[in-house]
Amino acid sequence: MDTIKNAINRDKNLTRLLVVFLMVFVLCTVLKGSMFISVSNFQSMGKQFPEFGLLSIAMAFTLFTAGIDLSVVAIANLCAVLMAKFLSLLIVPDMGSSTVFMMIAAACLMAIIVSILCGALNGFLIGVIGITPILATLGTQALFTGFAIVMTNGSTLGGLPKQLSATINSGIMGIPVPIIIFVVFAAIAAFVMSKTTLGYKLRMLGTSAKASTFSGFDNVRLFIINYVLSAVFSAAAGIIMLGRFNSAKADYGASYLMEAILIAVLGGVDPYGGKGNISGVIVATIIVQMVSSWLNMYEDISNFYRQIIWGGLLIFVLIYNYVVNEREKRQAMKG
Amino acid sequence: MNKKKYLAVALGLIFCVGLAGCGGDSKSQKPDSAKTSVKKVVETTDVATKGEKKDWKIAVVVKDSSNGWFARMEQGVKQYAGDTGINAYQKGPASTDAAQQVQVIQDVINQGINALCVVPVDPAACDPVLKEARDKGIIVITHEGSSCKNVDYDLEAFNNAGYGAFIMDKLQESMGGKGVYTTMVAHLTNASQNEWANGAVAEQQAKYSGLQLLDNPKRVESENNSEKAYQVAKEVMKSHSEVKGFVGTSSMDTPGIARAINELGLKGKAFVVGTGMPNECRSLIKDGSLSYITLWDPAEAGYAMCVMARQILEGKKITDGADLGLKSYSKLLQSKDNPTLFMGAGWIAINKDNVDNYNF
Repeated sequence: MDTIKNAINRDKNLTRLLVVFLMVFVLCTVLKGSMFISVSNFQSMGKQFPEFGLLSIAMAFTLFTAGIDLSVVAIANLCAVLMAKFLSLLIVPDMGSSTVFMMIAAACLMAIIVSILCGALNGFLIGVIGITPILATLGTQALFTGFAIVMTNGSTLGGLPKQLSATINSGIMGIPVPIIIFVVFAAIAAFVMSKTTLGYKLRMLGTSAKASTFSGFDNVRLFIINYVLSAVFSAAAGIIMLGRFNSAKADYGASYLMEAILIAVLGGVDPYGGKGNISGVIVATIIVQMVSSWLNMYEDISNFYRQIIWGGLLIFVLIYNYVVNEREKRQAMKG
Repeated sequence: MNKKKYLAVALGLIFCVGLAGCGGDSKSQKPDSAKTSVKKVVETTDVATKGEKKDWKIAVVVKDSSNGWFARMEQGVKQYAGDTGINAYQKGPASTDAAQQVQVIQDVINQGINALCVVPVDPAACDPVLKEARDKGIIVITHEGSSCKNVDYDLEAFNNAGYGAFIMDKLQESMGGKGVYTTMVAHLTNASQNEWANGAVAEQQAKYSGLQLLDNPKRVESENNSEKAYQVAKEVMKSHSEVKGFVGTSSMDTPGIARAINELGLKGKAFVVGTGMPNECRSLIKDGSLSYITLWDPAEAGYAMCVMARQILEGKKITDGADLGLKSYSKLLQSKDNPTLFMGAGWIAINKDNVDNYNF
């Protein structure tokens, strides 16, 4: 009993989310029964959430340092478009399967490198020039999307090797490949955030940039690393989207931006910086996916309700966090 | 401290119960709403409503459920459900985003549906998930998605040349059979709009010798922007005072050109006919600066997809000349290049006499 109590006290936020998770799970099961509790429904959900889950993790990293990255979706699409261009240029019809896979791997590597450059640009604008994150990334969002539009003329790029979409859309022992990619990246994110010195320094930076400077941290370097991490996670989302849609376009997933912010905040990352962890974001991603799939099971519930629920939920969480924070402050004063 | 905790739990519970309430309510209301409150928006014959079985489940996934065009389509789908007793319903993302639409399709194909009708935001992005649907044995029909590969059939409202000819017929009528005209498209690279414009020009050359296509420019671009359409039309009319008619193709062209006609005081002297949305163009139609808008009725298209789905489910083969029991889809035309592509004759023209019948 004591160990459970300790676990609960150690991470109240995660406990709260797990309770919500269970409530939503039970609710969906009670209301939709076998339609919800079915292997194919879980597989279907598993194919859907990794792309915006990764974007939410990308967003979480920047919220964590009291910033925001509005260019996550733009980076994902830019990487996907570049990969599509690269693959359609280099792959000829009678190429052997193993060469094709090598090419795909090379394209993924290129996407990651491009995303590092994009992230470094964001970090540079914020850390060195000192532009507010929301404005800096709003600018780079337009810039990256613009590049993608120019490269595609605004149209859809297809003509990708079959192997890419076949791999992303397949499953290993019934587990969809996107989930596996998600798990790998999420594990890396969780590790960096909570187990490394880097994560600790980012937390300090998010709590107070001044204090971080006076503690001798190199804030510029931290900002750049922070936005590079965010960009790399976005690129991973871009790779999944490229495979899932078997095509690339400058504006795929434009609505994921708001969803990513929502999930990160829902997952307990404080937009004022310094608080939160990746496990919370992961649980929040799954909650959002469950509610979304569950709502789609009703034939006559319009998807507007989804917007209403998301908006309501976001405001509710913000108010709740505010109340909790105020209480903690008061207690700290008393103690 | 404990009080607050209870408060939070209570709030959470209320929220969940509220949600559950939503779901429960709409579920219990469904039977009567399906029977009573269905508005007749589409004229049908027995071919459309009669069939062997009723226990089919047909889902229609549209580009964007917040769009008036698809709200109108939903009326057609609802009428189909009411007319036949078949469980047909429409879903769609809350914003026009290919990724969100794929998510909706992914969910919907898990719900034991027999047929899926899709109006794709981006045909290429939809293809992998449509393949998944077909692998599950679901019949897939698209509308405005002739480039999708993983479909059983694609149903289009009309063939492009025929629609262009229809626009020309109306323009000729408005211009009184004589004068110089020119054409406008969103982009010269847009395939279907240029086919419409070509169709219009071909019709004029074949039938209406009193009309003449302006030599230069023969075709102008609006970039799918009604402000740009307005400016371009104004320039054309100022530098070529002989121009008396415009063929508009994109739904942004037509109102833009009409505004230019209005502003230059050429009402009744210059005319425009082209694709347009009733709500957007209503005032321009009523004040006489816009003669006709042409379009197809999304309600009828939604209904037609459902009829087609059922016919396939009941083992009927769709062939050239097939009848779906709807005015615009009574004699389908099969494409010569693509045997899965079928076209209706679903164009309608709206002027000031009937614009108030359409609210989208």
